[in-house]
Amino acid sequence: MTDRLVYLDNAATTFPKPAEVLRGMVETYARIGASPGRGNHDLAAQAGTFADETRARVARFFGAPDPTRVIFAANASDALNTAIFGLVRPGDHVVATRLDHNSVLRPLHHLAEREIITCDLAPFDGRGFVDPDAIAALLRPATRAVVMCHGSNVLGTIQPVAEIGRLCAERGVLLVVDAAQSAGQVPIDMTALGISALAFTGHKALYGPSGIGGLVLRPDLDVETTRFGGTGMDSASLVHSQAYPLRLELGTLNLLGVIGLSLGIDFVEGRGLGNLHRQEMALLTRLRDGLASNSAVTLYCADDLAGHLPVLTANVAGIHPQDVGAILDGDFGIAVRVGVHCAPLVHRDLGTIDRGAVRFSLGAFTTAEEIDLAIEAMNAITHPARA
Amino acid sequence: MAEPIRTRELRTVAGRQVYFDAEGFFWDPDDWSDEAAEELAGESGTLRLDDVQWRVLRFLRAYYLYHGRAPMNRELRAGTELSLGELERLFPDGIRMGARRLAGLPNPKTCLD
Repeated sequence: MTDRLVYLDNAATTFPKPAEVLRGMVETYARIGASPGRGNHDLAAQAGTFADETRARVARFFGAPDPTRVIFAANASDALNTAIFGLVRPGDHVVATRLDHNSVLRPLHHLAEREIITCDLAPFDGRGFVDPDAIAALLRPATRAVVMCHGSNVLGTIQPVAEIGRLCAERGVLLVVDAAQSAGQVPIDMTALGISALAFTGHKALYGPSGIGGLVLRPDLDVETTRFGGTGMDSASLVHSQAYPLRLELGTLNLLGVIGLSLGIDFVEGRGLGNLHRQEMALLTRLRDGLASNSAVTLYCADDLAGHLPVLTANVAGIHPQDVGAILDGDFGIAVRVGVHCAPLVHRDLGTIDRGAVRFSLGAFTTAEEIDLAIEAMNAITHPARA
Repeated sequence: MAEPIRTRELRTVAGRQVYFDAEGFFWDPDDWSDEAAEELAGESGTLRLDDVQWRVLRFLRAYYLYHGRAPMNRELRAGTELSLGELERLFPDGIRMGARRLAGLPNPKTCLD
């Protein structure tokens, strides 16, 4: 057992957070931690200005023209709920994919089960990609939206959203993208990609804290308010503020989270998004090659890592993935994610729904030495006599 | 898009009727007994639990009953004085489906639930 922690669960949340993010959060929150947009004192105004500046940063980061259409949320699931429940109407048809996370599947299932909408799911191919033609084949006159992940949280495959965006634009269908895994990993230009609404979280590849994320909307898209409360505006009225972004926000803003999100974007932009991705993908390739040479290990959709995020999912012959995860953690100090990763349909299609799988996911602080330790640990697990 | 529903099954084990979940974990840890553990182990191909296996099961139960939760991986390693790899090999069904299940601990609440 080692005292060292090798953290390979960055697709769940990146860890550690950059020291400058944590330090800056404390310093800034200590300085301006009032309620943004509430009251007429200067501190509230400063906090509100910081929040608005962060909206502008987020809009620029995702190629969105209007900062007022940056809605803060608790995470991507929260943002997707806001988008889905605010966009669909009774009788609508929605298309999602079998790659999607429960953050997409469960809201749609909830609505479909109550016969409010109908829903179809596009399959993914043997390499882990959804074919835009498969989406096209599911579109109907009643299709209101395609809601889908940008990057699979199980397979790491980056989906062809540009092609799907063009397709949706041609058919007058909204494209709602779950960028939980891809935001901060690969460039996202909503306008260029034809994305109508983008849900993201701050605590993964944007290196902010948990509890902050957002929904970014194209300027001409209206999303109905589905949750109501105080906004700090129009307080004499019982009607929830209808101006953006407050139309879709309620209650006191998570200012500490907003600060962390802003600093996380600083970190990613400072390191260079492309540099980080290339560094992590080089390490993922090293991990893939190391594990591929172990005949007891099965890798899923990893033959070609082009168009992937730094995520690799595996199983070990004859050992329950929960046990593999426990051994990696308890004996080698390696933290991975086991189970079905809140993406049950991916695992059904992979044939791993009963036991799940072991997911390795890399981050900005992953090193080659750590990857080699993970490979050695997997070799020791599969061939204990040789360890 | 149907959701799986967690179900329980009533079985007779060691002369008692006991509820188990779909994966064979005791529904109620208080239904566990030495005899039930031996019978379940037999179903997994272990004719008789040996001293080391019993030491692991006793540790798991004592820890669970005292703390109200299963031991973390490092606690399991320290408490049993076995590596997790050794523990996995000690039980034919491994740690989760072997040791933990035979010890009557609840099914871990993970993404598999």
